[in-house]
Amino acid sequence: MSEEISAEIAVKCSGITKVFGSVVANDGIDLEVKYGEILALLGENGSGKTTLMNMLSGIYHPDKGNIYIAGKPEAINSPMDSIALGIGMIHQHFKLVEVFSAADNIVAGTKGKLRSKSVVRDEIKKISEQLGLEVDPDKKVYNMSVSEKQTVEILKVLYRGAKILILDEPTAVLTPQETEKLFNILRKMKAQGCAIIIITHKLGEVMDISDRVTILRKGKSVETVNTAETSEKQLTELMVGKAVELSIERPEPVNVKPILNVVDLTVKNTEGSIALDDVSFVINRGEILGVAGIAGSGQKELCETIAGLQKIEKGAVLYNKENIIGKTPKEIINLGISMSFIPEDRLGMGLIASVGMTDNMLLKTYKQGKLCFVDRKPARALSKELIEQLEIKTPSTELPVRMLSGGNVQKVLLGREIHSEPDLLITAYPVRGLDINSSYLIYSLLNEQKKKNTAVLFIGEDLDVLLELCDRIMVLCHGKITGICDAKKVTKEQVGMMMTGSTMEEVLGIG
Amino acid sequence: MKVRRILALVLSAALAVTALTACTSAKDEASQKSADNKSTTLSYDTVKIGVIHIGNPADGSGYTYAHDQGIVGMQKELGLKDDQIVRKNNVSDSDPAATETAIRECIEDGCNIIFGTSWGYMDKMESLAEEYPDVYFCHGTGYKNNGKNLNNYFGRIYQARYLTGIVAGMKTESNLIGYVSAMGSENSECTGGIDAFAMGVYSVNPDAKVYVKVTNSWYSPTEETNAAKALLSEGCDVIAQHCDTPNPQLEAESAGKWGIGYNTDMSKDAPKATLTSTLWNWSAYYTYQVKQIVEGNWKCENYYGGMNDGLVDIAPLNMDLCTEDMQKAVDEAKAKIEDGSFNVFDGVIETNDGSTVGKEGETLDDETITGGINWYFKNVEVK
Amino acid sequence: MADTIKKEPLIRIAKRAERSNKQKLILRLLSVLLAICAGGIFILILGKNPFSYYAKMVKGAFIGKNAASPFMPFKETIKIMIPLLISSLGITLAFKMKFWNIGAEGQIIMGGIFASYFALYHYDMPHYLLFVVMFVAAMIGGGLYGIIPAFFKAKFDTNETLLTLMLNYIALYVIDWLTKGAWQDPESKGYPKIARFDLNAWLDSMGGVQIGWVIGLVLVVLVFIYLKYTKQGYEITVVSDSHATARYAGMSPSKIMIRTMFLSGAICGIAGMVQACGTEHTLSTSVAGGVGFTAIIVAWLANLNPFGILVVSFLFAVLEKGSTVVSSEFVLSPYCSDVLQGIILFFVLGCEFFIRYRFVTRGGRKND
Repeated sequence: MSEEISAEIAVKCSGITKVFGSVVANDGIDLEVKYGEILALLGENGSGKTTLMNMLSGIYHPDKGNIYIAGKPEAINSPMDSIALGIGMIHQHFKLVEVFSAADNIVAGTKGKLRSKSVVRDEIKKISEQLGLEVDPDKKVYNMSVSEKQTVEILKVLYRGAKILILDEPTAVLTPQETEKLFNILRKMKAQGCAIIIITHKLGEVMDISDRVTILRKGKSVETVNTAETSEKQLTELMVGKAVELSIERPEPVNVKPILNVVDLTVKNTEGSIALDDVSFVINRGEILGVAGIAGSGQKELCETIAGLQKIEKGAVLYNKENIIGKTPKEIINLGISMSFIPEDRLGMGLIASVGMTDNMLLKTYKQGKLCFVDRKPARALSKELIEQLEIKTPSTELPVRMLSGGNVQKVLLGREIHSEPDLLITAYPVRGLDINSSYLIYSLLNEQKKKNTAVLFIGEDLDVLLELCDRIMVLCHGKITGICDAKKVTKEQVGMMMTGSTMEEVLGIG
Repeated sequence: MKVRRILALVLSAALAVTALTACTSAKDEASQKSADNKSTTLSYDTVKIGVIHIGNPADGSGYTYAHDQGIVGMQKELGLKDDQIVRKNNVSDSDPAATETAIRECIEDGCNIIFGTSWGYMDKMESLAEEYPDVYFCHGTGYKNNGKNLNNYFGRIYQARYLTGIVAGMKTESNLIGYVSAMGSENSECTGGIDAFAMGVYSVNPDAKVYVKVTNSWYSPTEETNAAKALLSEGCDVIAQHCDTPNPQLEAESAGKWGIGYNTDMSKDAPKATLTSTLWNWSAYYTYQVKQIVEGNWKCENYYGGMNDGLVDIAPLNMDLCTEDMQKAVDEAKAKIEDGSFNVFDGVIETNDGSTVGKEGETLDDETITGGINWYFKNVEVK
Repeated sequence: MADTIKKEPLIRIAKRAERSNKQKLILRLLSVLLAICAGGIFILILGKNPFSYYAKMVKGAFIGKNAASPFMPFKETIKIMIPLLISSLGITLAFKMKFWNIGAEGQIIMGGIFASYFALYHYDMPHYLLFVVMFVAAMIGGGLYGIIPAFFKAKFDTNETLLTLMLNYIALYVIDWLTKGAWQDPESKGYPKIARFDLNAWLDSMGGVQIGWVIGLVLVVLVFIYLKYTKQGYEITVVSDSHATARYAGMSPSKIMIRTMFLSGAICGIAGMVQACGTEHTLSTSVAGGVGFTAIIVAWLANLNPFGILVVSFLFAVLEKGSTVVSSEFVLSPYCSDVLQGIILFFVLGCEFFIRYRFVTRGGRKND
């Protein structure tokens, strides 16, 4: 009855469907990967990539459809089953015990007798050498860089004997140099017969590393193509579903004059370690200042300090020459300082997740109006206006914003902030989690602000976008500024080097 | 949206207005009721009796059981039908709201006599007696009487306690007798009972000591057990009690020691330990009271019966554990109490702080006995 | 094909789509029906007729046998409802803020204590002035007691669940201490109790029931308006969602938390005053009597909607009153009616699970 499937095929999913409530996350997805092959799973956020992979790793269970591992139909009911079948998953967020050493993390959770440290170390060394991994088994995880942690994660699954490797957005946290290193490792693993599925939405990487690409769109598998026979443009069209113009305009800055002057700023993060180390820079009206850096290099603290949400150690933030350090957000608003901050955690900071658009519009203006009652009328009108202007997809202004898709949530937040016509706009990762169309809409909204002579601080993660959109790029590394350079005159590789600590002088060879 | 807001405001305003205009004070209402209702005569067919119990008669022993046996006895004696008795069990006497609900339920059920058996029901019975002037309220163990329809009933249990003290005094080998008391020296009922018991002990065994342990609750099974345990570990070999459950007796039995029960004959709970018990025979009172009311002789007097009324007694001695001598000593003392030549609290009494109470040739009056004994007899020690 | 798949679990739990309000209503009604059936089986086991048992129960909560005052049971039911309604409204304020105030019990007691002080020692004021004074005192008492956990959470990020729970016991022992000490009735002949309040300190009645029910109804409306239409109500929504968002918007979460907990405690305090001065006419350890805990269930079942709380607290009171009537009529231990109440609650609360999740069986998958 069951069709014959060659044992060469590491994973075959046929007709996988998974429904969450009323949301169909996966809708009859087919996918196939052979041993000794790298398959890229490409799709926009919300297209069902992660859900599909979670079913392979036993976190979810498909409502319909079958999974075949090495040619045999299998039911994967728990992560344990998944490991037993030789599937190893490397999540976007590392699942490591910070206070353990690399070796302890690798061994943790394995069954069988406790083995002596030296045996474990030898085994780890053996695997590392085969693939050219560089890991010190005794190093504690909290002392490791992001890329080292990722290496430990890879070792962890290989140590368990995984022959099928799934990587969920592995390059999101890596510099271009580290990405290249990772890809080399993956190529070696492929040569040793592993099947690898890599989830990503970066087209360049897909072209670089994969043999075949399966494209998901809105929960369906739309196409599987051989990488060698396709182009970035075709992939984008498959991903988005229609032809898109992929270029970001960069209008010439006009009427540039300083608005915010950050002087010798030092800030500690919540754990008490230095997050920003003696940082000084200027934001100008009429230009977009991009901030590049590995995640956690002080971007969050920088934004929150300017917005008045963060205590500082020393330094000053001068807004039109007035120091706003020590003032609460309320006082900053009261001073008539027109500044908008679009935080990276949109539902956790910028918006009220559990209520509708109307109430979200009120967030900064609810105090207006007479008596002790909230006047919702203007807010409702504004919501309707934004829905129309920004094409926000929501059935009603009262639907809780957490039910909206990521792109629409971002539009709600950005729309509200832009509506207040600020002189200074701070945005942290404004396109994170957004589909391509939405991303480009956000870029053009930011450009509009720039044309209105607003100063824009843009914290980004995609270097390509930063280079195309911004006028100047400031690079942060471990809380220090390693360089502020003209976006038109710098390359991706140069920015990547600055992100890992090389100064602009070293990189560009100029003084 | 707007309509709803207005509606809500109007609603709240309307409520506030009605609240202000339609208020009747509690006093008015009580007086209104008394004016409306006319008293009706009762007969044995129409009388309906509500009993508020703090425990559950099904426990088969202890305070509530004793009272309920009294009700059962009264019912038999007067030939009342089962549906003429309404019982409310497990009504906490430290919960006024529950008390009120229980009493109201009885009244609503048609009861015209309410017996409240526990102390804490007193205030609520007083309030409700005002509200229902046609219902007779009889409250056990308290002190309130409104001269109309609320009286109070209790008995000279100290007489029986004196007799049990004689048994305990003769039985003890360690000369240490334990006594689990519900309340401390501020409570005259408990203290008087301890003193009478201690005097009984002293009359036969001047060397023996009475150790008292207070639980601070009329009904607390675990506390009662713990108190008995503590007394046994102090070396006591007879455990007497003024509390509602037979737990102290059971504790004494399991320690291989002896005890003096209370309320009902607890030798059936702890046959190897209970020497005798201080008994209430409540049917004597309940029969008397119901008869008085039905036959139109209600005078709203407080009832304070004794051994002569058959209300209190000492249980038959457990002859597996007691001797003929004990029986003889008890019988002698009992005869003196019954013929009135001995009243327990006679003459000058020495207390355990060295002072004295009472006068030569006199006996304490009832008011002092029910509300004024806050001292312990000289052989008593509170642990 | 599915046969070849080994060891798929027989039953799995899956989250379901948000149900429509109509479906939810039907499910809840169904759960009540099931509860009644399961309870019926329990009654059968006890050897009673479930139909007459339930009939007596419902009747016992509404209509009495006494022709002269047939609605006395209904009034008693309302009396049970009053503190439950008011304290449910109180904790709703805190719960809306996701501040898990399970200290309603203690706040009720503190409200009762503060009001009782005036009822016991200043009862000679004009009646309505005394009412206002006691009302305000109860709010302050309950409110201050509510502030304590809020302050510690704001300052030291302590766990409010534990703190409010523990404060309940302190409040209970304060009453115990007052009963046996400073406030003991001098006429009680040593029995530890607090004197019955002077008539002047009793709450008036309206329609034969103490006016607590009017206070409750007014509070239903006020709490509804407060949460839905006021700026402070809006602030509660924001804080409940995320403290970071509140700070981002220029609010002070600490201040809002303390203010809301004051109000939450104050309303619970009113419940204490209403119970002490309106129903018990004295202060005793039973002034809260577990109402503060039941209120949590009431508030949740009503989905934190004040009008829903009105309905649910009434139903709870019916259940409670009906149970006591029926247990004495059928000569059952009161614990039997507790078991029955438990069975009914189990089904009603269990129903919430089925509103959010469903079971998927192995067989069911094949049929898809």
